[in-house]
Amino acid sequence: MIGVGASGPRGDEISQLPPPRTVGQWEFAGRESGWGGVRLAELDAEAERPYWIAISLVPGIGPVGFARLLHRFGSARAAWAAGPAMLDGLLRLPEDAGNGLRRLRRTGAVAVARRVHATLRGVGGSVVTALDVRYPSALANVDPRPPVLYVAGDQAAFEGPAVAVVGTRRATGYGRSTAIEIADELARAGVTVVSGLAIGIDGEAHAAAVAAGGRSVAVLPSPLDRVYPPRHRDLAARLVASGGALVSELAPRHAPGRPDFARRNRIIAGLAAAVVVVEAPDRSGALLTAAAATEIGREVFAVPGPIDALASRGCNRLIADHLAVIVTSPAGLLNGIGLSRGERPVSITSLSEAEGLVLHALLQRPASIEELLAPTRLRPGALASALTLLEARGLATSYGGVTFHPTLVARRMGRPG
Amino acid sequence: MLAQALSASLLGVEGVPVRVEVDVAFGLPSLTIVGLAGSQVQEARERVRSALRNSGFELPARRITVNLSPADLPKDGTGYDLAIAVGILAASGQLNATKGLAATALVGELALDGALRPITGVMAMAAAARDAGVAALLVASGDEIEAATVRGLRVHAARTLGDAVAHLAGVRRLPPSRPTPLPAWEPPADVPDLGDVIGQPEARRALEIAIAGRHNLAFSGPPGVGKTLLLHCAEGLQPPLEDAEAIEVSRIYSAAGLLDRRAPLLRRRPFRAPHHTVSTQALVGGGPRVRPGEASLAHRGLLLLDEALQFRSDALDALRQPLEAGTVTIARVEGALSLPARFTLLAAFNPCPCGWLGSQARACRCDDATARRYAARLSGPLRDRLDLWIRADQPSMAEVDGIEPSAAVARRIRMAWRRQHDRLGMANGELRTRGIDPRLAIPASVVSLLERRGVKFRLSPRRLHRAARIARTIADLAESELVLAEHVDEALFYRPEAAT
Repeated sequence: MIGVGASGPRGDEISQLPPPRTVGQWEFAGRESGWGGVRLAELDAEAERPYWIAISLVPGIGPVGFARLLHRFGSARAAWAAGPAMLDGLLRLPEDAGNGLRRLRRTGAVAVARRVHATLRGVGGSVVTALDVRYPSALANVDPRPPVLYVAGDQAAFEGPAVAVVGTRRATGYGRSTAIEIADELARAGVTVVSGLAIGIDGEAHAAAVAAGGRSVAVLPSPLDRVYPPRHRDLAARLVASGGALVSELAPRHAPGRPDFARRNRIIAGLAAAVVVVEAPDRSGALLTAAAATEIGREVFAVPGPIDALASRGCNRLIADHLAVIVTSPAGLLNGIGLSRGERPVSITSLSEAEGLVLHALLQRPASIEELLAPTRLRPGALASALTLLEARGLATSYGGVTFHPTLVARRMGRPG
Repeated sequence: MLAQALSASLLGVEGVPVRVEVDVAFGLPSLTIVGLAGSQVQEARERVRSALRNSGFELPARRITVNLSPADLPKDGTGYDLAIAVGILAASGQLNATKGLAATALVGELALDGALRPITGVMAMAAAARDAGVAALLVASGDEIEAATVRGLRVHAARTLGDAVAHLAGVRRLPPSRPTPLPAWEPPADVPDLGDVIGQPEARRALEIAIAGRHNLAFSGPPGVGKTLLLHCAEGLQPPLEDAEAIEVSRIYSAAGLLDRRAPLLRRRPFRAPHHTVSTQALVGGGPRVRPGEASLAHRGLLLLDEALQFRSDALDALRQPLEAGTVTIARVEGALSLPARFTLLAAFNPCPCGWLGSQARACRCDDATARRYAARLSGPLRDRLDLWIRADQPSMAEVDGIEPSAAVARRIRMAWRRQHDRLGMANGELRTRGIDPRLAIPASVVSLLERRGVKFRLSPRRLHRAARIARTIADLAESELVLAEHVDEALFYRPEAAT
């Protein structure tokens, strides 16, 4: 039950010293530096809460540092009582850590916590510490786990089966329509769809889950009072309204920065039983989520793309390197995680001849007007007209590009059941 | 002694009659020109002095005052030389032609040897002289074809000052020039043909609609997919200028000094494609001596802005007024001057700095904020005035047959053009009525369909009314009396939300 510090082992702590090792930006010094061995059950959740909040606000203290403090002091309250000495032995602290701690101590832990609560109430959120019974059980075996989470929405959203659907922000029409189809199937099968609320794949997955009447959990890279990206504030509100939840590791008024995206990926993977990477180019953030999932023992799935599609290079490589299981259909994915498909409504719409021709061609393969000329033998003007009508009826969409994709509704017409 | 001669000035693209008054009085020998005369007019003193001497006349050694009236109109240019010289001769008793001078306007620049040289803007000056009730116009040899495009005015061309004086004195009359006929229309042969463009069926179609109904077109897409080539085909798709339009447009080109003096009447509808480094003044006109800019040179035709987002933002903003009102207003100390500028705008641009945003073919390398800042260069008001939006990507390898050549598309456009003018007296895109004009002949059921679509696609009322006009053009291209549902749906395909 011992931590290792940059300043070397401290007198009374040298009993079992595993050599520290570094993996990426996550640091491990054996299980002892994580939560393993911390006797959480012995701590009083209510009495500890203000100190957990206050310490988590000290610049540079993340899940790893927090765990180390618990090991050293036994409780957050004791660590807080130690004053500036608490920072001794913590690795890679930013320069303002000491000043930050001093400022927090001047205010006092209880007052700090009260202020956080007040801000949260304004946005309908609450604080959940790892001591709370409400702490998502899926995160309990993530190590190191985030000590404090800020949550808005229905906590029940964390309890059922959950799958993360993630991907690039610069999604193509293919990626978007696939994300929609997968999220829809998951939601209909009763699975909570977890993602990061980003533009692109994340947003489509959340929206499709909500549209299917399912639950969705968004893990924000920003505090709850500053939903990022702003373009998805509406979506975030709909998520909460339909029984989902928003989760953030950042205290209110915290300015989001680069590392926060990385930490968020870990929570996304942690909250889900499996992670599906729908579309990811090389060096995509979604690949980091996949890596985090592997690290904490979650299953990773990836949707393949054409071999010349840059937007799918990351996914294709995950599959080629056996780091992910290939997804060949939404049904196959459900099968892979041991679930069966839910009810899907069969839609019936009457179509004109031109519309029927165009939709039939799109169901064979998404296509641009140019590519529709030959199979439909329609003129460009007539195609433009038919595509607008299909779009107005919610049967096709271009996602802002030149290629048109059939929507879920259209696909259900195409292959009912 | 006092004498008067008539001349004309150019203000923007309009001619203004100018009276040249000359007083020869006792006093120290001098030659003074007054009446807001600019530097080019001041230099007329030296040209007139030499020209008179070298033509065998003499400049009286008296105090000579020349006044250009109206005296509050700023004057520039070299066209007053002839009138000043003739006025001096009349005032000094070397020429006796009071009647001839009252009935003949004189415009031309003098060379030092007494030869007459052509000037710019003669067409507008001739029209101004005629409108002022002057019966004849005496111009430099070379300007007569341009001047004779104006009906109701006798035009004489003189080679030298001596010839002009002989004509005015009635000693040796110059023959009147024959009226210049409108040239026959020939389709332009030196422009790219639609038959040579690969792919882009929806962009071709949008271009056809844009030209047929004079709707402004926005065309975005990655580099190298043929945006520029396709838009340059537009020149060959335009119908010829109507007779009245030909005069109107030619006069602008005359004022800009861009006419071929031997064939001054234009039949080909303007197509202007200024480079993106163009200054605001060159784009919309202006300068100390107001010259028409590209916007006016594109009057009744097309203005193509290739790489539109690379243009200076103040230049782009300056296009808002002509897009709305069809004219450019240039504010000057002496008051505002208005130039015609009723053009159809074709704007092509990349969706982001690297050009590949939203493309299937290649990944975009720009971050979100950069791409958004780039797109914001097209300011809201200008964006709002672009009617048809089309987005291109790399052509697929799909086999496409039946690519129409320009001639076939141009035929359809001419026919649709005629239908609109019979119905409205103008193109559908030039209609500025609020709401949906009843003359568009859109059945109530189709209007309600349009409104439903407006709700579905979240279009502003203005966009919706715009779509109604575009639908009318599509119906005109299809030779349909009524606008049908399919025409409305096609018009909505080109909405901006679908393209960006």
